[in-house]
Amino acid sequence: MRIGVYVCQTGTGDLDSVSSHAVTSYAANLPSVEIVEDLGTLPTLDIAALATQLRDARLDRVVIAGDSPGFFKPAFTAAMARAGGDPEEVRLASFKEHGASTGVGTSRAKSVVACAVLGVPFPLAAVPATTAVHPGTLVVGGGIAGIQAALEIADAGKQVLLVERTATIGGHMAMFDKTFPTLDCAACILTPKMVAVGQHESIELMTYSEVESVAGDPGDYKVTIRRKARRVDADSCVACTACADVCPSRVPSEFDNGIADRKAIYIPFPQAVPNAYLIDGEACTYVQSDGAKCGVCARKCPKGCIDLDQEDELVAFEVGSIVLATGYDVYDATRIERYGYGTLPNVLTALEFERLTNASGPTGGKIVTKSVRRNKKTKADEWVFDAENGVSPRSVAIVHCVGSRDANHNPYCSRVCCMYSLKFAHLVREKLPEADCYEFYIDMRAFGKGYEEFAERIKAEGTFVVRGRTAKVTEQDGAMIVRGEDILSDRMVDFPVDMVILAVGLVPAEGNRRIADQLGLAVDSDGWFSELDYNADPTDTERGGVYVCGVCQGPKDIPDTVAQASAVAAGVLKGIATGRSRDSLASLSLSDIEKRAADLVEL
Amino acid sequence: MAIRANPKLIEELELYGAQDVSKCYHCGNCSATCPFSKEPYILPRRSMRSLQMGLEDKLLGDLEPWLCYYCGECSQECPRDAEPGETMMSLRRWLTARYDFTGIAGLFYRSWRAEVIAVLVVAMLTGIGFLLWGFSQGNIDQYDGPNAFLPSGQVHLFDWVMAAVLIVLLGTNCIRMWWFTVGRDKDARVSFGAYVRKLYQLPYSFLTQARYAQCERKRPWLLHLVLMLSYLTMLVLIMFFLGEMAAGPEVDWRVHVFGLLATAGLLTTTILAMRGRLRKTEPLYRYSHETDWMFLILLAVVASTGLLQFVLHRSGLDVAANIAYVVHLMGVVPMLVLEVPFSKWAHLAYRPLAIYLADVKAEALVAEKQAAAPAPLAPAA
Repeated sequence: MRIGVYVCQTGTGDLDSVSSHAVTSYAANLPSVEIVEDLGTLPTLDIAALATQLRDARLDRVVIAGDSPGFFKPAFTAAMARAGGDPEEVRLASFKEHGASTGVGTSRAKSVVACAVLGVPFPLAAVPATTAVHPGTLVVGGGIAGIQAALEIADAGKQVLLVERTATIGGHMAMFDKTFPTLDCAACILTPKMVAVGQHESIELMTYSEVESVAGDPGDYKVTIRRKARRVDADSCVACTACADVCPSRVPSEFDNGIADRKAIYIPFPQAVPNAYLIDGEACTYVQSDGAKCGVCARKCPKGCIDLDQEDELVAFEVGSIVLATGYDVYDATRIERYGYGTLPNVLTALEFERLTNASGPTGGKIVTKSVRRNKKTKADEWVFDAENGVSPRSVAIVHCVGSRDANHNPYCSRVCCMYSLKFAHLVREKLPEADCYEFYIDMRAFGKGYEEFAERIKAEGTFVVRGRTAKVTEQDGAMIVRGEDILSDRMVDFPVDMVILAVGLVPAEGNRRIADQLGLAVDSDGWFSELDYNADPTDTERGGVYVCGVCQGPKDIPDTVAQASAVAAGVLKGIATGRSRDSLASLSLSDIEKRAADLVEL
Repeated sequence: MAIRANPKLIEELELYGAQDVSKCYHCGNCSATCPFSKEPYILPRRSMRSLQMGLEDKLLGDLEPWLCYYCGECSQECPRDAEPGETMMSLRRWLTARYDFTGIAGLFYRSWRAEVIAVLVVAMLTGIGFLLWGFSQGNIDQYDGPNAFLPSGQVHLFDWVMAAVLIVLLGTNCIRMWWFTVGRDKDARVSFGAYVRKLYQLPYSFLTQARYAQCERKRPWLLHLVLMLSYLTMLVLIMFFLGEMAAGPEVDWRVHVFGLLATAGLLTTTILAMRGRLRKTEPLYRYSHETDWMFLILLAVVASTGLLQFVLHRSGLDVAANIAYVVHLMGVVPMLVLEVPFSKWAHLAYRPLAIYLADVKAEALVAEKQAAAPAPLAPAA
């Protein structure tokens, strides 16, 4: 067999650690390789010339190596066919797909090329040895992904440690009003699962805690968890509100995304799990004054469960597997000044609107615009949602792709915004049938089961769906004007609206990179955790015994998140059931992979 | 009616400086950003679309490119980095080439070598011509007076002949522009009255650049206005007061104060523009076409040698002043003969004409639309 290796790069992704020179000189020494050429970044491929070269060299197989070699496959297939060769023998050696971006760069790229030259799929050849596995599992993140994964594993009778950064599990889904496309009540789906986690005998729930450090090897990890000072004993607190009633300190509520206030001693929301109060040290008068002032909550508490002087504590655990379900943050809309978020009071982000329209939210689900209220303390006017005196908007504009699909912000599609924006339009029109609702979109990405039908339904309900991105929101005589180009009817539109909702995209959660560094995991160029193999191993990572699920691996909606979380449980349980789990891919050397690939060819 | 599409149109435009047109995914962000995007002229996305579809004939009839002043907001906000601002700039170059019936403009835009050679040849011929003429009838020691090397009376005559040729060339192209954009357009029936009523637009927009001032940032407009007014002042001085300008060596403040102000304006703006293009300080300076540089270089040569001959003459160095004058003419003649009808300078005619025509055409289009359209598609407000 005569083989040609062509290195072609697209220049996308972080593959700086791959030396293409080292790869080409390595490939030249592989058996049967006749031609090795480095064509550089985004080469212009002349199919006729390529075909002549392939024919002259009498090549039986062509390997395209590079970050995303599939990009060049059509040209090589055409050339191969024209040269009279077998187009099936155009093989890809994808550095990006097989994780050559992870510090192991060049040696991984070499092994990927070696497998392609031998005609063996890389995942078949690169199988690390197994290690003994501890039966406990750490799940990081208590959103719907972490909850689902924890429940699946715990229901199989295995011990789970669920660590959540905030004071309650539930994550973003707990903030949502409805789910798309079925318009189910999000809380009705989520709350039973949250309660199940809280009561499960096999789940050790640690909220208001963070992973401090991870040591050990696949199958035998030693993790240290920082249990942040809650200052309220969660087991004895009965959530009677006596403490919050007397607390003098008010700060914006994280759970309500800042559209309402909470006290320094608070419960994130009434259905929180654990259903117990906690004290925000940053806002607490007692903590900030080092115990000199206040402390009134501790005196009022009928159960005596408040310990204002509690400190953080570190707890060590041993686990065999780690599931990362750390979720996402939303794009910071203040970075796009022309939409006026932060300066115009009635420009909201999607999560703020979720809380506004949620029946358990600050306005009881009543959609109103902000009104001015005088702050007695600071003597300043501030804009607040007032359920009683607030005016309902007569028109609402929803702007898609805020921070997504934009070379100036995030290049990727956040996948959920189109659908939740349509859901918003439905909720607005359901509660305010008189209100006009405008959707400004670029492309309507209704890709899931029942999604396209949902989009059609929203349009049929009378929402004005404008194909055209809004460039700016301006204020004119107290009204907001949303300007855009309606591309399909070829005209400029200036809609006066009372409320603008920005469909902000998803970005990796703040701590993602820190966790990736702790565990030696790769993140992609956008900051999402890299899975082991995009197609075949979507929940495994380079590191043995570490799994990913949910949005932290890449933007996805609730059904996909839940499905992936269940899939993770299968991987974890397989390891526990067999007592062995896969070692890290990095433990394999180039010669191991070469040898195994050669063995596979002989078979 | 059949519509012809030119699939190679983007490639052709790339020779005129277009960048990344095919990246555009038509979100309309650029049009919504643009202060000039008002119906019936939606820009710049519509031009991006026409380009991607290869609608050569439609683009030839479009006035939109001339309504853009390249503030660069659209390119900065473009989510695809498709450079709509640069597309409009390159369309203006392409249109200049297409309005020109001689085809020379297209040659200069597509090949910088051709332009440089043409400029050098014309400069050399000018230099040789004026030297021969000067030596045949004058004295190189004399800048002014009866035995002047280049007597202003005759140079004046030469100026007027050149102006006439230019007006014929540019005028023909302007008529072609009118024909492509308004004359042949059956959808826009423009009444004679409208042409007369809107005629004020021509001097108004030429002298104030008022539309340019509508861009969000005013600095580019100010620079452009200063450059244009300086140039105009110089043109008036040379066309009507050349004798007074050349007389000396004592300074005649009635004309020279204008001359010096105009020279200062030209030199300052040229230097600022060159610096901007080198440092890419403004969006409009990020991509420089060869013709942009030729424009600036000729302007700098002409303005500085003009100043130099003035200074030398007033200092009594008549020989040097005469040499500077010849060099000055070697810049002026190619600038006027080649750049004004066939390159970037042509926009001094096309831009105000386009604003005038756009105004006239818009009226006709709106009237036509009202007559034709039943109910508007507008969402009920």
